[in-house]
Amino acid sequence: MRGSRLEIRIGGTGGQGLILCAKMLADALCATGKRVAQSQTYEPTSRGGFCNSDLVVSDDEVDFPLATALDCLVLLDRLAVKPSWPLLKPGALVIADTRLCPELPEGELRVHPLPLSRTAIELGSERVANMVALGALAALAAVCTRDAIERAVRAETPKAFSS
Amino acid sequence: MNVGQPASAPKLPWRLISGNHACALGAVAAGCRFFAGYPITPSSEIAERLSRLLPLVDGVFVQMEDEIASIAAVIGASMGGVKALTATSGPGFSLKQENIGYAAGAEIPCVIVNVMRGGPSTGMPTRPAQGEIMQSRWGSHGDYPIIVLAPASVREIHDENMRAFDLAEPLRTPVVILYDQDIAQRTETVELGDANGVARAQRKWASGPPAAYQPYATGEDGIPAMSRPGAGYRVHTTGLNHAENGFPTQSPQAVERNLGRLLTKFERHRDLIDSWQTLGCDDAEVLIVAIGISARAALRALEICRARSLRAGLFRPITLWPFPENALREAASQANAVLVPEMNAGQLSLEVGRILGGKRVEAIHRFNGEPITPAEIAQRVETLAREMNQ
Repeated sequence: MRGSRLEIRIGGTGGQGLILCAKMLADALCATGKRVAQSQTYEPTSRGGFCNSDLVVSDDEVDFPLATALDCLVLLDRLAVKPSWPLLKPGALVIADTRLCPELPEGELRVHPLPLSRTAIELGSERVANMVALGALAALAAVCTRDAIERAVRAETPKAFSS
Repeated sequence: MNVGQPASAPKLPWRLISGNHACALGAVAAGCRFFAGYPITPSSEIAERLSRLLPLVDGVFVQMEDEIASIAAVIGASMGGVKALTATSGPGFSLKQENIGYAAGAEIPCVIVNVMRGGPSTGMPTRPAQGEIMQSRWGSHGDYPIIVLAPASVREIHDENMRAFDLAEPLRTPVVILYDQDIAQRTETVELGDANGVARAQRKWASGPPAAYQPYATGEDGIPAMSRPGAGYRVHTTGLNHAENGFPTQSPQAVERNLGRLLTKFERHRDLIDSWQTLGCDDAEVLIVAIGISARAALRALEICRARSLRAGLFRPITLWPFPENALREAASQANAVLVPEMNAGQLSLEVGRILGGKRVEAIHRFNGEPITPAEIAQRVETLAREMNQ
């Protein structure tokens, strides 16, 4: 089902929890009956370096599972801009962290600069910037219900923090 | 077992798992009860999953000191009568080659997963490649037979791992499962069939009087019966060329007889071994031949070609070695040109060119860690079709 293909990238640097963020979104989409292929690009270091996780979402089985034309892009670091920008569809949704990714190239896009990492810091830990980003993505891209995302996040959260 | 799906998720016919996770589930479902390995990106998740899954089914998981010890342990476990698996990647696959040859020569069933990453040497551990197409067939020394399976999706990794054991056990051979980093570490929604109650192919065990037992006697089907440990049969197993009694020999006649049988033992089982997928080959002007992530790109490229009224087809070997030669010849019979997209500097295209001698065979070679895209393949098909029609 080519018409239903939706592509999402969460890009930043290694250690930001981008893959976990994408996995939770993938779990939520899967639970609502979508077919999902989630891939990841990372460097052989545990911190730093360009890292991204891509989702291809479809009503049918996904033939080519890698991103070719992005509908949504979440940027948690400026490192992810250059490799991702050429893949954006015209009119794509771009959510960029105002602190870590302040400057963006021009483009016919729906750009939302948001204080994702600053919000995370105010909440008590920059490490949860990935979850703030997931919330922003869920609200702006409307790819699946808030309920489904919340369930996926709770399922992956250690019990001590998920009550 | 419900590993990898949130416990609170509603029941769906499919689940979201990675290729390496599917590999571990397939092994357990096939009856594998022994894993020995040494972690290496991007295959480590197989070991990680099996370290949790195998104890649940009274299986054994061992993290060995290195890759050589791992394949040695797997061969030992298999000689003990257990279905055994190891998994590795790139440099680890190179280290295992000597003992893969031992398993082939001594006819010890086992399954070896090799997740292909960038090479040579340490290369690019987290990036996909398809550089071991030839090594998987020819990596050990001397002449020996081996089966190599090349799944192209998460679901197929699961199913082909089960089939790997169903070939390794009755045919007494090492079977390699070969797939790239991209499919190994991606997650996809998959429907896994229920393997419970499905009869799996068994190893042929010796059953006659112990005094008459010859560990490498030519059976009716070219496969000697193995003796179950402790069943009273006398066995000698060696990497040296051996006669029917299992003891070393350099008698030209005995070597010719026994090695000759070994080298041809797959021939009468090709109906079990051969496996491939064809799409749109009946009227294809340009035939694409690809495996793994390159085949997934080709699938999408077929759609693009169809939209541009280009007649393209896909031949995807699922059993890579022995190569399904006759099926390829048939699939290519109408094609004027063949295109082989592969993530290496030229391996699959060599074999395709050999089989289709005389036909125009072109390739897209990529070794920079970036998968070949559907658009690139479609563009090349268009160029080829135009050139052939001039």
